[in-house]
This record gives sequence, structure tokens and C-alpha cells, in this order.
Amino acid sequence: MSKLFPVQEIGSLAKPKWRTKGLRQQLSSQDLSDAEEWAEKLAIQDFHDRAKNILKTSDDRERAKGVLELSTLYGLRLFETAGIDNDGVGGEQQRIEMYEHVIKGVQGMNLLGHVHSFDYKYFNKGVAQSKISRKHPVYVPEFLDVKKYAHRAVKVPITGPYTLVDWSFSGYYIQKQQTSSPKARKIEAKREFLLDIVEQIIRPEIRDLVNAGASWIQIDEPAVTTHPEPQEMELFVEAWNETVKGFNCKFSDHTCYPSEIGYKVLAEYAPKLDKCDHLALEFANRDTSHLGVDENSREGYSDLKHFVDAGFSGEFGLGVAHVHDFTGNVSSGAGQSLGRDIIESPELVRDRLLFATKIVGDPVKIWANPDCGLRTRTWDVAFAKLASITKGAELARETYE
Amino acid sequence: MSPEIQLAGIHPRSEKLIELTRSYERAKTSWNQVEAQLEQETRELIKLQESLGFKHISDGALGWQDQLRPIARSLKRVESGTRYSRWFDTNTFYQKPIVTGKISAGEIDPEKFLRTELLTGERNRKITLPGPYTFSQLSENKYYENYPDLLFDIAVAEREIIKRLRNEGVSLFQLSEPCLVYQPYREIFRDRSEVELALRAIRSVVEDNPGEFVVQTYFGDVAPVLPKLLDLPIYGIGIDLLETEISVLRDQTSKALVLGVVDSRESYVEDPRWIADAARKFCEQVDVQDLVFASNSDLKFLPQEIANQKLEALSKASELFEGSR
Repeated sequence: MSKLFPVQEIGSLAKPKWRTKGLRQQLSSQDLSDAEEWAEKLAIQDFHDRAKNILKTSDDRERAKGVLELSTLYGLRLFETAGIDNDGVGGEQQRIEMYEHVIKGVQGMNLLGHVHSFDYKYFNKGVAQSKISRKHPVYVPEFLDVKKYAHRAVKVPITGPYTLVDWSFSGYYIQKQQTSSPKARKIEAKREFLLDIVEQIIRPEIRDLVNAGASWIQIDEPAVTTHPEPQEMELFVEAWNETVKGFNCKFSDHTCYPSEIGYKVLAEYAPKLDKCDHLALEFANRDTSHLGVDENSREGYSDLKHFVDAGFSGEFGLGVAHVHDFTGNVSSGAGQSLGRDIIESPELVRDRLLFATKIVGDPVKIWANPDCGLRTRTWDVAFAKLASITKGAELARETYE
Repeated sequence: MSPEIQLAGIHPRSEKLIELTRSYERAKTSWNQVEAQLEQETRELIKLQESLGFKHISDGALGWQDQLRPIARSLKRVESGTRYSRWFDTNTFYQKPIVTGKISAGEIDPEKFLRTELLTGERNRKITLPGPYTFSQLSENKYYENYPDLLFDIAVAEREIIKRLRNEGVSLFQLSEPCLVYQPYREIFRDRSEVELALRAIRSVVEDNPGEFVVQTYFGDVAPVLPKLLDLPIYGIGIDLLETEISVLRDQTSKALVLGVVDSRESYVEDPRWIADAARKFCEQVDVQDLVFASNSDLKFLPQEIANQKLEALSKASELFEGSR
């Protein structure tokens, strides 16, 4: 039997100050003091040599390259040291964020400015100003660095076509529609824009990743659960199936923070997704912060039933740790509330995994992960959460031994 | 008279303010700097509304983190902060209010709701609040056994909040009720009794001063509930014209109708002639004297520059519409 309850990350980690600053300007040794501290924790043996090269170069591109490579190495080692089984791409250190990073590689799209997402989080929203095409490869350069340094399995998260279109202004695509109904115009525009994103941008990215050796691609589609209408869901399935067609690779979907209907509609359509072997979903955010494997204690995981009932037979990546600000109460033994964070205890992680196993019926199908990428948490907090997930997975494993 | 123009919710922050708030969150900027920019932008927005001929002035709620939070933080036995939920089908999120006991109004701090000190010259002040039905639908109920009890306790508490805000000089309250028309997340369509219940809750909020209220619907087709909404004893009803099938409307009203006619979720700025034409087509279906032009929902889904251009387009459209009447 393969290892039960393997642990994966979902995507992003916060970017250290030296990484952000180092892309823009020359760094001082003081700037790298934080990196030095973490080098020890993460056993980055050649930190001083790398730091010397970064500090001495006057070539901006060379410095940026060194900084991105080093932060990718740190991300990979942070995941590895926390004990997780799949290191992803080291916390997406080479990306701006999941949306803007891709849009910058699309000919015909412009970033219009930032719009609010939540609290003091925003995203730079793009508009299609003409028919789109690929400007340059987006994910492959990062993957090649990851391949050099990863000691464990690697999964490449990419932003899904449906989400890219849903988060963009349609611009050119909506203005060219002839139909007079504003609603029909929007839908027609979305379909045309979406199929162009799949053919022109996403499939070429996947082709290049697979050719470079990627064996598992996680397609992030947080937008899909926001439009549970059948017409939209059919569009999502059509785009997904077009995206994965003909590739020999493991594919998983990551979706999080659905609207009020939860995952019910996604569950209905999940069995229609070709080659979708795994669904990584956010759950901890909606769960209680007390121990227990009963339905009341684990109310956040009830939507898993919909997937089982709908006949989805793949794996589940179970969100067992919250990734946003937390200000609620934490019961004894379930973790610690520290400022704006909750550090879930291993026991709470264990209970979430065991409850999910009761619903899914097969522990082999359950992976443990944070709800989403950890980019909004500090590295200390992210590390503590991941270490807790790892220990929680061990505790869950012990119940089967 | 040409149709009035109003802000219909939260206005976007500028790139400068966005950068400051981000920097504040990283502890690199003091709150005073953020506050100074917030104040400046609020003043600019007020000035923009005045220059475009708005009769009711809003402060744009630039400091609000989501549409529910100021109300949620003013209610007793409502917690928030443990869970973020998606705001309808947008890429924005709100802290989900969690109802843990019998709701009542708590300490009401008007400063959490509006910038009274910046609206000193404005006699007609408008504020946008979530209506009781939408607030109850978007909350997580961990206490009430009967939904109507939850809904009416929210309505009673909201009346208290509104009373307090009235003392701050607010003369027009927009109660946003997207849940009355937004359908996709529901497993079954809301039936007549649920609509009646929602309207009763709204009535209980507005009954003291009905002339001060607009009930705004958005993200859905108002047609199925419009006749009932028109029976409410209020000043006006807001309609999302981009979602509403206007060909089936056959109504007549003496109430103001707020036409959400520019799209708060698409970046192209509507041609004023198109806006005026859309309003004319609407008037062919609905017999209405008092029209207000607005965006179909909060403009916060757009970059600020585009949002401002849309307000200017509304203003021009209002003149064109009047000229053609």
C-alpha cells in the first residue's frame, strides 16, 4: 500500500523581502540577513556563495535570475523541511501572482489597474484589447529551476483558462458581439475568449511543461464555483477537456472559496472532467476549530459527500489548514491562535483527515494540504502550519497501522 | 428635469491608496498616511459627484472592506473574521457574519459607516447598506431555529443603526438586496412566501421614514419580483438593467426607479447615447416619471479611473435623455 495521507502544498508562499527588492534593485548584505537566518534553518549549504554572486553583480538581469533561483530553492527546502511529500514549484517564487503572471505573457491583453479582492488584497485586472496570442512561455523557466533543485516529487500549479477569463474584462471579445441582449453578449464573448485562451495560451504552456518533464499539473480554477449556472459549468467542462486533450500527464483541479452553493455543482460536473485524477479543495476555512470526527465538529467537510454521490472516483486534496486571517476562538487541543493566525494542531488535522476518510470511504484517496496557497502568511507561520499538517497526517496514518 | 445620478455602492480605491494600504499591511506605512489619502480621495469623489450634478452625495465608502462588515461589527452576537466567502459570482470576498445568539444592535459607531466630517456641506447624504434579507442570507446562522426570527431581529437592529445614521444627516438609505434576485446559488427558486417575508422585513426597517429608502437589486433579473417591490412604501427601487429582461416588464409606478445601466464589471465605458437609448427603451416598457441613473452595482469591481469615467458617461447620458424627452 502506498503512503496514506501524503501531504502536498497548493501553490504560493509569501515572497521574502530580499526576493522582491532584489528584482528591482541592488541588494546589500543587510538585505540578505533574513535569508542567512533561513539558510541555516533550511540547510541551504551554498548560501554564502550564492549571496556573494548576487551582491557582486551589477547586471540587473543576472541579479534577478540569481534571486529568483535562490528563492525557489528556499521554497523547495521550506516545504521539504516541513516534511511534505510534494514540493510543488517551491511556492511560486518566480511568479508575480497567479493571474497577472500569466496575463503578462499574453499578446493582446493589457493590465488596467488594481481592483479589490478582500481586505487589503487586490489584483491587477487585465482586459483583452484584441484577439489574444502567446507572447512568451510563462511556466517553463520556473519549472527548469525547480527540476534542478527538487528532491521530491513536483507538481506544477497553473492558472486555469476559465479563471483567467472570468477574472478579466472581455473588452475586444464583448465589443465584437452582435447580439443586442447585454446578457447574451457577455456569454458569447466569454466562450470565444475562453476557447482562445485554451488554444493560444494554456495548451502551449502544458505542451512545453510536459516536454520539459512535468508529470503532474494542477489547474487552479477558483472562479468555477462562482458561476454555478449549467451554461457556465458546461463551458468550464468544455474548456477543461480541450485543455487536457492528448497530454500524457496527471491533472488535478484546485478550487477554493466557492459562493454560497458550496461545491455541490462542481461535484455534479467533476466526473465529466477528462483526466482529472485529483481535486484539491478548501475546507478548513468553513470548519470549526475544535477536535472531533463527528458531523458537527467537522461541518466544513460535509460537501465531500456531493462528490462521492456524484461518482467522482479520483483523489481528494483536503484543505486541513486555514490560510487567511483568523480571529475566532480555538478550542483546547485544536491549535493556537497567534495574532492574525491560527496554527492548527496535528490533532485537529488528524480529525479532519479521519472524518473525510469516513465520507470518501478509502484513505488511499486522501491527501492533506492547506486550503490554498500560503502566500498571505509569514514563512514562520506557513512552516508551522505545514509541519502541523505533516504531523497530523502521521497521526491519521497511525490509526490505520 | 434630467434623471438624477447616484452612486450605488462602494467606489474603488485609487492606485495610490491601494499601494498605501498594501504598504500599511506590511507595516511599512503608518495608518495616518493611509487615512490622509482616504480623506483626500473621499473629498475628490464628493467633488466629482457635485461637478456631475448629483443631488444625493455619498462618501463612496472607500474604507469599507466589504459590503457587510460595518453592519456585522455593529451587531451583538454576530461574529466575523473566521471565514471568508465569495461575494456572489465576483472575485471579491466578504467576512461571513456568524450568528451565535439573539441579534440586537450593539455599539454603533457612525464613523465606521460614513465620513460625516467630509460631507459637512452636503444636505442630501446617501449611504448604501445591505438590506436585512441579503444580510441574513449571507450570514451563517448558528442560533435561530426559525429563519424568520433571524431575519426580523436583523431588521430591528438595522433600524437602530439607521436611526443613528439619520442623526448624522443621512437622508437617503440604499438597502441593497441582491439576494432577492440573484438565483444561481439557490437550489430552489425562492417562493412567494419567502419573498413576502423578505418584503415584510424591509417594511419593518423603513416604516418610520419610508421616503428615505431605495431598495436596490442587482446581479439578477428583477422582473419576477418588481410588482411586489413597487408595493413597498419607499422612495425608489433599483434595477440591474444588464440582468433584467425588460421586454416582459409592464409596470407603472410613481416611485423613482434607479436604473443600473452601466456595467460595474466590464471595463469598457458605455457610450452616453447607448445609456440614454437603453433608458428610453426601458421607459417604453415601464411607465415611470422619476428616473435615476446609476451603475448596476458597486463600482469597486473596476479600477477607479474607469469607474469615474462611467460616472461621467452617466451624467452626459442624463442630459441626452432629458433633451430627447
